[in-house]
Amino acid sequence: MKAVKGKFFSRGVHLQGRKSLSETQAVETLEGVTEVAIALSQHIGKPALPVVEVGQAVKRGQLIAKADGFISANVHASIAGIVKAVEQRPDGKGGKSTYVVIERAETDETDFMPPLENPTAEEIVERVAAAGIVGMGGAGFPTNVKLMPRSKVDTLVLNGAECEPYLTCDHRLMVEQTEKIVRGAKYVATALGIEKIVIGIEVNKPDAIALFEQTDLDVCALKKQYPMGSEKHLIYCATGRKVPLGKLPADAGVIVQNVGTVLAVCEAVEEGKPLIERVVTVSGTGIEQPRNLLCPVGAPLSALAEQCGGVKEDAVKYVAGGPMTGNALVGLTSYVSKTSSGYLFLSAKETNTYEPTPCINCGKCADVCPMSLMPMQTEFYTNAGDYQKADVYGGVLSCIECGACTYICPARRPLAQAIKTAKAELRKSK
Amino acid sequence: MNQKLIVSTAPHVRTSRSTKQIMLDVLIALIPATVMGIVLFGWEAALIIGLAVVSAALTEFVYYVIQHKIWKNPKEVVLSFFKQFDFTSLITGLLLALVIPASAEHWYMPVLGSIFAIAVVKMLFGGTGKNIINPALGGRIFLFISFTAMTVYPATTDLLGRFGSVSVSELNTGATALQSFLQGGETLSAIDLLIGSTVAGCIGETCKIALIVGGIYLCIRGVIKWYLPLIYILTTGLFAVVLEGFDFNAFLPSILGGGLILGAIFMATDYTTTPKSKLGNIIYFFLLGLLTAGLRKATGIEVVSFCIVLMNFLVFLIDALIKCRPFGYKKEKKQKEAK
Repeated sequence: MKAVKGKFFSRGVHLQGRKSLSETQAVETLEGVTEVAIALSQHIGKPALPVVEVGQAVKRGQLIAKADGFISANVHASIAGIVKAVEQRPDGKGGKSTYVVIERAETDETDFMPPLENPTAEEIVERVAAAGIVGMGGAGFPTNVKLMPRSKVDTLVLNGAECEPYLTCDHRLMVEQTEKIVRGAKYVATALGIEKIVIGIEVNKPDAIALFEQTDLDVCALKKQYPMGSEKHLIYCATGRKVPLGKLPADAGVIVQNVGTVLAVCEAVEEGKPLIERVVTVSGTGIEQPRNLLCPVGAPLSALAEQCGGVKEDAVKYVAGGPMTGNALVGLTSYVSKTSSGYLFLSAKETNTYEPTPCINCGKCADVCPMSLMPMQTEFYTNAGDYQKADVYGGVLSCIECGACTYICPARRPLAQAIKTAKAELRKSK
Repeated sequence: MNQKLIVSTAPHVRTSRSTKQIMLDVLIALIPATVMGIVLFGWEAALIIGLAVVSAALTEFVYYVIQHKIWKNPKEVVLSFFKQFDFTSLITGLLLALVIPASAEHWYMPVLGSIFAIAVVKMLFGGTGKNIINPALGGRIFLFISFTAMTVYPATTDLLGRFGSVSVSELNTGATALQSFLQGGETLSAIDLLIGSTVAGCIGETCKIALIVGGIYLCIRGVIKWYLPLIYILTTGLFAVVLEGFDFNAFLPSILGGGLILGAIFMATDYTTTPKSKLGNIIYFFLLGLLTAGLRKATGIEVVSFCIVLMNFLVFLIDALIKCRPFGYKKEKKQKEAK
């Protein structure tokens, strides 16, 4: 066990990690994908514009949709084949979005960009944009935009905290692809024109910490605490700086990148490979064999479940993402996107659902809130319909939606839901 | 797929610790004080405790079934009562019994107190989490202004000299140790006050050691925050010292005499009747300490229960004054806006 370095924030919750299900499983490649459905909107910002026609043959890595505007990202074909359709499909979360459906062909041709040698800062930013790289931690913010900060930055923080229970994809990447992550981080640092790179890893991943200590990156062993992977808290713990309220990390002189993102940057620069595949953790006690799978973007969830031995009968909840912030799925109809970190199949024992009981004003939600908000006030005023007061007393607009308050609530109040409602209402009225 | 899938918003995992378990922890923490009360005051104390607890639970049951129109669907209403039952009324009953003197002359005193505490103070305002003042203290004040028996306290036996079952009639009755101290009489030694030997007082408040053990258990279990009772107790003690003209002999009798420790650990920390924020809580407990020491000096009697109830009414004001300051909040930003 490595000693905890850096600062730590006094709030947050201690969750059962449940990472042992999949943390020792080496990354496997997903086999037997015959059809992928690649969403046009896998990032924050405008959906990409399709540039392929139905019936057209595409190679692996070929551009199929280009970025529309500044905050948007390119999308590439993840398998070689024929475009079957560009259509609306249910996204598994209850809504619909537009997908480019590609059916696998016999040939397996690739169409990557030429590798770059000793790239300059501009070349790297250009390549990152061309490769359609977005933040792979979950937010999906286009990385090239992040590489052009408005204010001066001096530190790059790599996010290897992976504080969500169950998820182990970043952990496996850090153990298996250490060198590539280090090189990718250096490309990102070059693009930003900075020297200092810190990688923050929670102490529950001692093997990853040991590997990175052999490299020339600064390693910050973080306390195991949820939500350590939140950008603001990671910056505070790794560098001791507080991001001013309502500002971006760049305003504190820091850029945060997920370890998966810098790996994608490395591959884009050295191999010319766009972001067409990622590691996805399939876990939970509702699946036969929890695994970490390297999946092409757009792979259907059913193919992942099949390779993991199938879904057990007692799985009552399918979740896309981590258990604290992920979305519940309405079935197996979901497709891997650039931001999918995991799919969880939870049994009734794991995903306990309770009836809400009256708030007893115990204050535990405020004790654990990493942003020092007052969720009970928010819920009270939201239920009363007074969203302005919900912000004044509860601080809704600063909420990072980590779900810690709802996790800890002994009265089982739906606090996170109330906060999301208040946020939406406040944004609407602005 | 035949099975129904659950679809809900994040988070998908919840802690197993519920309101019920927290309340159970409070009950467990009250066991030492209850046992010591029965040991010190004999079977009469046990009778009072039993009557108060049972009548508190029964009152909640009767109120609930009438509120939910039992005559329409008896079985379902009774089942739903047990489903939502969270031990809070048991705590109220037990706490009420612990602040009644063992010499309570009428058997119906604890019963009336419990009924008032549950029906009027708690359920009328909406049940668990909605009451404005602490129900047990509401019940105690109701009894205090209704019965003179509430102002005469039996003293415990000399624990260091004789130990055995006693009956209340054998015990000396009179003013509490705190009262005699406040009125300039003799004071007992700190050790006697701490273990409850030859101390006159209510059933639960005499043995401070038992209360402190319960308080430490609550702190370890994360039910209460260790610094809040401490703020209350220390502020009271120190302010009493100041009021006595910096006479430090007043410190120990004021914190160990009377019901301060019981009030600080179990009554004032009641979640529902304290402010929501951390800062608010610190202000609340500090003001509570000042009020207690000041009123004790002014009236010459034990006023902890009145002070807590008085401060309960101020909770809303404290809450309304404290605004949220998120992580990364900077004070100068506010000044800029003011300009």
